[in-house]
Amino acid sequence: MAKNDLQGTLDLLVLKTLASSPLHGYGIVLHIQRASEDLLRVEEGSLYPALHRMEQSGWIESEWALTETNRKAKYYKLTTSGRRQLNLAEESFDQLVKGVRAVLRYA
Amino acid sequence: MALFRRIANLFRREHLDREIAAELQAHIDLRIDDNLARGMNPVEARRVALVQFGNPAATREHVAAADATLRLEDIRRDLRYAARQLRRSPGFALTAILTLAVGIGGITAVCSAVEAVLLHPLAFKQPERLVRLHEGVEHHFEPADLPAPDVIRFARDNRSFVQVAGFVGAQFEVSGAGKPFQARAERITASLLPMLGVQPALGRAFTQSEDDNSAPVVIISNAAWRTRFNSNPNIIGTTVDLDRRPYTILGVMPDGFQFPLSTGRVSHRDLWVPMSFTSDEKQDETDNFQYGAIARLQPGVTLAQARDNLRRMVATVEAEIPPQYGIHLTSSVQSLQEESVRRARPLLTALAAASGMILLMACANLANLLLVRAAGRQREFGVRAALGAARVTVVRQLLTESLLLSAIGGALGTALALVLVRIAAATLPDSLPQSNAIAVHWPVFLVAFGLTGLTGIVCGLAPALASLRTGLMDALKKAAGSTSSTHSQNRLRSILAILEIALATLLLVGSGLLVRSFAKMLQTDPGFQAQHVLTASLTLPEQGYQTQQSINALYGELLRQTAMLPQTRSVGAATNIPIVGINSDRNFVPLGYSPRDGRAWVSASNYFVLGDYFRAMRIPLIEGRFLAAQDEQPDAPLVAVISQSAARLAWPGIDPIGRQFRMGGNPKSARPLITVVGVVGDVRQGALDQSVYPQMYEPFPQAKRQFETAVQRSIGNYRSLYVVLNSAGDPAVPQASLEKTVQQLDPLLALSDIHTMDSVVSATQASRRFDTGTLSGFAMVALALALLGIYGVMAHSVSERTREIAIRMALGANRREVLQGILRDALKLTALGTVAGLAAAAIFTRFLRSLLYGVTPLDAATLTSVVVLLLVCSIMAGLIPARRASGLDPMRVLRSE
Repeated sequence: MAKNDLQGTLDLLVLKTLASSPLHGYGIVLHIQRASEDLLRVEEGSLYPALHRMEQSGWIESEWALTETNRKAKYYKLTTSGRRQLNLAEESFDQLVKGVRAVLRYA
Repeated sequence: MALFRRIANLFRREHLDREIAAELQAHIDLRIDDNLARGMNPVEARRVALVQFGNPAATREHVAAADATLRLEDIRRDLRYAARQLRRSPGFALTAILTLAVGIGGITAVCSAVEAVLLHPLAFKQPERLVRLHEGVEHHFEPADLPAPDVIRFARDNRSFVQVAGFVGAQFEVSGAGKPFQARAERITASLLPMLGVQPALGRAFTQSEDDNSAPVVIISNAAWRTRFNSNPNIIGTTVDLDRRPYTILGVMPDGFQFPLSTGRVSHRDLWVPMSFTSDEKQDETDNFQYGAIARLQPGVTLAQARDNLRRMVATVEAEIPPQYGIHLTSSVQSLQEESVRRARPLLTALAAASGMILLMACANLANLLLVRAAGRQREFGVRAALGAARVTVVRQLLTESLLLSAIGGALGTALALVLVRIAAATLPDSLPQSNAIAVHWPVFLVAFGLTGLTGIVCGLAPALASLRTGLMDALKKAAGSTSSTHSQNRLRSILAILEIALATLLLVGSGLLVRSFAKMLQTDPGFQAQHVLTASLTLPEQGYQTQQSINALYGELLRQTAMLPQTRSVGAATNIPIVGINSDRNFVPLGYSPRDGRAWVSASNYFVLGDYFRAMRIPLIEGRFLAAQDEQPDAPLVAVISQSAARLAWPGIDPIGRQFRMGGNPKSARPLITVVGVVGDVRQGALDQSVYPQMYEPFPQAKRQFETAVQRSIGNYRSLYVVLNSAGDPAVPQASLEKTVQQLDPLLALSDIHTMDSVVSATQASRRFDTGTLSGFAMVALALALLGIYGVMAHSVSERTREIAIRMALGANRREVLQGILRDALKLTALGTVAGLAAAAIFTRFLRSLLYGVTPLDAATLTSVVVLLLVCSIMAGLIPARRASGLDPMRVLRSE
């Protein structure tokens, strides 16, 4: 798979994560880990660049806040255009999966 | 939004970095907390957390990169890279920068001058509502100034003007304030200064009642106040003697005030006095059109309505003239602003057009240069694309290069413009008004800069963008260093070169025509010999010289004493001298003249002369005799000497000697008859490129006797004469002796306008010299640019076809054939360009007509020499690449592929 697709998948996961509630970076990592039942582990090295990139594109916005343990952390939340992007990404991922499955079934 | 954030991020670098570090640190801390919660000890928790996180430094960098894709660092790097690239090809860089500088600088300077001179409003209140009135006589002369009674009448009877003001020149001998001097003055009606909206800087202007009552009051100019009166702050109310009568100084005009605005000279006036029309002036015959008239349009009145109004008033005047004179009056009204620039307009328009062409050529040259350069870097782009360079990066770098070139070229162009403007302000001839207001006009600069910058960007980017699309394989397949370009690119470059040659041809033709006009002017025979002649003007005031006899006596004595000076070969005097301009047009009725065009009179320029004038000026005698001392006796018969053209006009085909005429326009008048005793060669009354008028000379003491005896007493006295001294050696030498002679005769008299005739003649050539020089300068620049263009195209085509040429030579073509082949290509380009240029010249040079003298706009000699010049130059331009081509060693070239 070309690099682009991998990046797109990460974006999708992050957007979906933030769709339910705002989270900081660490929280996003934990959520994806838990929700995928430990099948997916996000590289911190690629998460933060992705988060900042998505923020530049206007899909998410950030603000500093206190965690439950009273630590300062940068929380991210989804914007309206982010929500739109999430729908698009979900759709294209569905198509990707369908296509791969079809090729695999074809033997 | 996203873009703003990126731009903002450029500057918040530090802050951003800190924030990113904090964010990542927070992440790690949270993980440590979790680890601690799971039961690890602090050291363990921290280590595991860091391991799980990965390399924070690398992460930080990646995050920062994601934040600001447009970084100052990058820009600085691009600039350095661009500078290095340019330094590596200094020839290209230098040529491009010079081309830009010349194009931008030249057009900015010229358009600034044009703006200052042609478009700058006059320094009066609402100058666009000021107009100048003209009156003329049909078939005789174009509308010029007005007779005095008409100024008064129109001021009273008009319906379109708020006010009408009159003015006329005057000269006064000023004494009682240091060394006596001749002042150039202007008599103005009291309505003038308020109408212009100008107030004296000190004191006040004169009132209408002072004007009506001929009060002896005067306003002096700022320059006179500074130089002659030592900027005395208490000068208001003091008196000064004008023509030996005391006048009170009422005011001092502000610095820089100029009135009247003449289009031929710098209008430098020392004093302004009230017009105070004399009773003579009020009853003047309608043949003395000397008084200028300016008016302010009433609000809402158009120029056309004003013209109509004036025409109707003039018709009323004409109705009062006896019809047998056959005089039909014409009139016109012109905007004052338009008039003051009329002389300058043709030249400046030509210059503006020329610089426009040069700008075009500069852009074309630049385009050529950049296209060639880009073609040579195809391979570089291909390789970089293959190595993963983002398109954006490559394009951005090219953009930076072009912008860098434009910036340097623009800076140089600004410097050039400033220098040129400074030079222009200093060397412009007096015929251009307001030349001291010339400064760089920034909008023009911005336009020129923008245009060339745009060309640079487009021509720099276009090939890069195109090449990025070509496949990597194609780019790599091209042999190293080869710069083959597509057919269409070649055609484009050739077209550019042809365009440049066409423009250069056009400019060369224009300037060639001007050069020839100038040469013709220099060769024109003025009708007299200007070498070794000193002239000076003298005016005798009323005080001490009340009668014409006393005036004549003084001048007679002056000439007698001057003739005895060792330096003098001959000396005379006249009311006017040639070249300086016609000052005195008179009508006369030759006896036996058959009326032509419905009028019975002829007009000629009229000089009254004294002493040995003709010999002093060395005007050739054609027939009969010169005027002599015998004619100056009080009862001598009335005689005159006429010029050849006057003879041809008045007595065509007959011998004029012995013929008689009367002055004035009425064949039935009672004026005395005057006999022609001699015919002399024609002289040029105006500048050498103006036409010759018929000329008449009469003895000075007979001036008044030409009128009927009853009228003679009411005519004013003739007070001014130009002394003309023909010296044995350098004409500047007798100046001191001449002044001393005048001083000895009357210590209060002062000579003015002391010049050698040589300098008078060359002064009139000054403006033409300037016109020619400037346009030729432009043409040279255009030629240089065009040659650069040819050279560029030829050099490029040679370097492209290196292999082909090498193969040909290996197959037996000798060097000479190769050389000739290249030259033939160069000539073909030039020929096409020249033909196009000549066609353009045929259409456009007619606009130069008003600047030409003695040559037609399609002068064969000029066209031929331009064509030859271009062909020769293009051969020279093509020679270098041709030599390089023929000097190729075919074996080395083929082997190195």
